[in-house]
Amino acid sequence: MEELATENKGQNLESEMEDQADASVMTIEIGPAHPAMHGIVRFTTQIDGEEIVDMIPEIGYLHRGFEKESENSKWIQITPYTDRLNYVSPLLCNIGYSMAVEKLFGVDAPRRAQYTRVIMGEISRITDHLTCLGAAAMEVGAFTFFLWFIKGREYLWELVEEVTGARLTTNWTRFGGNATDIPDGFLGELQERLEKIKDILRECDTLLTRNKIFIDRVKDVGVLSKEDSISFGFTGPMLRACGIPYDVRRSDRYSVYDDLDFEIPVGSVGDCFDRYLVRMEEMWQSISIIEQASDKLPAGPIAIDDRQLVLPDKKQVYGNIEGLIDHFKLVMEGHQAPAGEIYMPTEGGNGEVGFYLVSDGSGEPVKCRVRPPCFNFVSAMPAICKGGYVADIVPIFGSVNMIGGELDR
Amino acid sequence: MELKVKTVNRIDGFQEALYLPAIFNGLRLTVRHFFKNLFGSREVVTIQYPEEQRHVSPRWRGRHRLTRRENGFIKCVACYMCETICPAHCIHIEAGDHPDLSIEKYPVVFDIDELRCVFCGLCVEACPKEAIRMDTGVIAMAYSSRNRFDYTRDLLKDTYRPNKETKYTDIPLPKTEEEALPNSRGIPST
Amino acid sequence: MNEIINIAINILLDPFIQTILKIVVIIFMFVMPLATVLTLMERKWSAMIQDRVGPNRANLPFADNFRGRGALHIAADALKSIFKEDFIPRGADRFLFTIAPYFGFAAALSVFAIVPFAAPIGDFTFQITDVKPGLLYIFAITSLGVYGSVLAGASSNSKFALLGGTRASAQMLSYEVFIGISLLGIFMVYESTQISVIVDGQNTYWFGNLIPKWGIFTQPVAFVLFFVAMIAETKRAPFDAPEGESEIVAGYFLEYSGMRFGAFMLAEYIAIVGVSVLMVTLFLGGYHIPWLHLWESAPQALVTILQILKFTLLSVFFCWLQLQIRWTIPKFRFDQTMALGWKKMLPVAMANVLVTAIIILLAN
Repeated sequence: MEELATENKGQNLESEMEDQADASVMTIEIGPAHPAMHGIVRFTTQIDGEEIVDMIPEIGYLHRGFEKESENSKWIQITPYTDRLNYVSPLLCNIGYSMAVEKLFGVDAPRRAQYTRVIMGEISRITDHLTCLGAAAMEVGAFTFFLWFIKGREYLWELVEEVTGARLTTNWTRFGGNATDIPDGFLGELQERLEKIKDILRECDTLLTRNKIFIDRVKDVGVLSKEDSISFGFTGPMLRACGIPYDVRRSDRYSVYDDLDFEIPVGSVGDCFDRYLVRMEEMWQSISIIEQASDKLPAGPIAIDDRQLVLPDKKQVYGNIEGLIDHFKLVMEGHQAPAGEIYMPTEGGNGEVGFYLVSDGSGEPVKCRVRPPCFNFVSAMPAICKGGYVADIVPIFGSVNMIGGELDR
Repeated sequence: MELKVKTVNRIDGFQEALYLPAIFNGLRLTVRHFFKNLFGSREVVTIQYPEEQRHVSPRWRGRHRLTRRENGFIKCVACYMCETICPAHCIHIEAGDHPDLSIEKYPVVFDIDELRCVFCGLCVEACPKEAIRMDTGVIAMAYSSRNRFDYTRDLLKDTYRPNKETKYTDIPLPKTEEEALPNSRGIPST
Repeated sequence: MNEIINIAINILLDPFIQTILKIVVIIFMFVMPLATVLTLMERKWSAMIQDRVGPNRANLPFADNFRGRGALHIAADALKSIFKEDFIPRGADRFLFTIAPYFGFAAALSVFAIVPFAAPIGDFTFQITDVKPGLLYIFAITSLGVYGSVLAGASSNSKFALLGGTRASAQMLSYEVFIGISLLGIFMVYESTQISVIVDGQNTYWFGNLIPKWGIFTQPVAFVLFFVAMIAETKRAPFDAPEGESEIVAGYFLEYSGMRFGAFMLAEYIAIVGVSVLMVTLFLGGYHIPWLHLWESAPQALVTILQILKFTLLSVFFCWLQLQIRWTIPKFRFDQTMALGWKKMLPVAMANVLVTAIIILLAN
């Protein structure tokens, strides 16, 4: 691996040297420990003065063996692991994984569970965009913007904790429902906090969106055309910024998103400015989705009544022998997923988060593959950055919103 | 619902090219925050830990504890359910014969390696006896020695101290099994 | 006894001794305290802007954990930079690496040599020296600061530092030009480059005693241009591309640690004070308090104290304003800094000179 990287570097250097015989090309290592590389990734960058000539991304610094580990776990034991895939929107990965397993079983969670999943998922999407935009803005120097956003994220994470019992390591969804229902008075508090988030969004909008310094930093920086974005496999805000309204929530019509009314923001140029504006608008749309879902939230159970999938109620476990046996079988043997393979895409914070599951009918998965959105973005980094300035890496990488956990798995 | 598309508005006109209006608008905002925080009520979310501590949710998954029967003996019957479901393999149980014949088994060894634990709460869900719970409200374990994170049976049993700063003061210790019944999946009712 | 007092008075009346004393008093009682407090205040004030708490944990364990709301962080920072390892990277030019921090430091301090803090009493001036070229001296001495950044960048044997040094040299040399041109209007209005003349020129009034002829009123465009150019010259945000903390890590002082890093930091804060002092002197009437001359029976001592007070307060205000700007707006990219200077500020400054010249011609 190391040899290969050096070899590649040599080749690129040579070819570049041929192109510009008298130019002095300097190689700088951006990352793995570099202030702009949130998450750990390395870009071996060749620069001519301030201009980027070539770039080689190197990933894998956060590899934890998620997919291999999954092959030796029961289905339910993977759920806590999915929290750690995307550490700025853990609930979206939770929901994506559970929906994939439900698809494998051929069941659907009850309506109330679906609606609470939508509410919590959109909260997570807001925290994702708050973190991403905040970090990107901080790196172009708008530190205040970042800290106000992080303050807003704090409000939402406390809500996540109220529901799931943890801020980040949520482990909230189960197959066929959720672990917990939303607590009493949650919706009122949610509304209060959303008002605060709206205030923060408005303030930050004033601070940055029409500031010429910021516009100069992001406008026409990191442009990738529609065709290139598609061929690189872009999804999510990065693709929508190019003007393609592809959103898995609409194109796959999963969960209850079909009942909810929202717009898909798209850009026109596909530069960092569009990505910033698309994410800002998506937060407003998410707030609207949460408000609609809170209004429509039906009563009912939060998990289906299927002993093959859901642990029986504790009263049943303590009270009668059948409940106890079902409980024991589910815990000791695991969920007996039918043999087969499925792919379930969901709209994560960054784009399409897909789970590809293969089951052989035993209690353990044969394969659990994640389709992370960031992988495609990072592989396109050289194409986006080439010809730009060294300082452009910062807003471009900020707008890419690489999440090391997803990328390296 | 049909697909609705909204093209974002890229504002970059003459007013922006002057630089100063946007800078003044921004300055007005930051100056307002500055004086609000200097003189008025501070709108900070930062907590001066450890002097003040946050009110964590009643559902917060903190350090584990082993609940006890009325006579003070731990409820655990060494059924190995938590050890089986634990994704981090951090629970180690060795069963032994209980002196009370009606109970049959109890854990001679019940170790939790809190450094391995991922605090997912699956052990609490898997327990058929309400014997393990994560409601101590202990949000941080900080020791200078690695082996102090190996919580043994008696440590888990005896160090239940409700955190005065958290909402746990409101929750009394369950006395009977009936009382210990959670409302759903191991989460205590508030 | 009387003889000793006489000798002492004679020594104090000696102009050379007086100058030395003024330097000591101005540097150690005005510049350094203000700059040191600014290092803490930058963090506290930015915390208030950003709804944070700010540093408050440094304490005295032997004095009942006394914290002083974070004031002890100044002492903690000083101790830390003194006792940290003074690292010199392999392959660095040891001599240049060692002396580079002090160029910027010296250049930043030199600004205060010609700034008057209060009106002269008889022969005694509250100014270290009132050189005839006046502001030209400042242009000359601030360009020395370039050497600090360039030498630091070039001698560090680090690519990021080299990039930072290159950026710093280009940026500082360019903005020298705009500083000069933006002040041409001031020179024309007050008909001198000498500081004391400019300051006294601002003590005259329009329409009887209605509006003082402050630089901000006679040259409002120059006020903005000079302020921007000076911030760029001191490499503070939003013009901190030479430091570029997000892309080239810390730029030209990347490899520095310990007290040499401290020298860079302190030089930056001294430069902030320097900019503020120059802004007050050139555009806000210096030490002159408007309309105070109407109170003719004012005691001399009180007037001097008030003048020093006004000067200090306005200087602190400009320090605060610079920090407020720094925490409000994002940073320019390096080429945009240059474009702003050459393509926008230069034409505006030229036009300002032209318009000023026409108005002065017409008025005469």
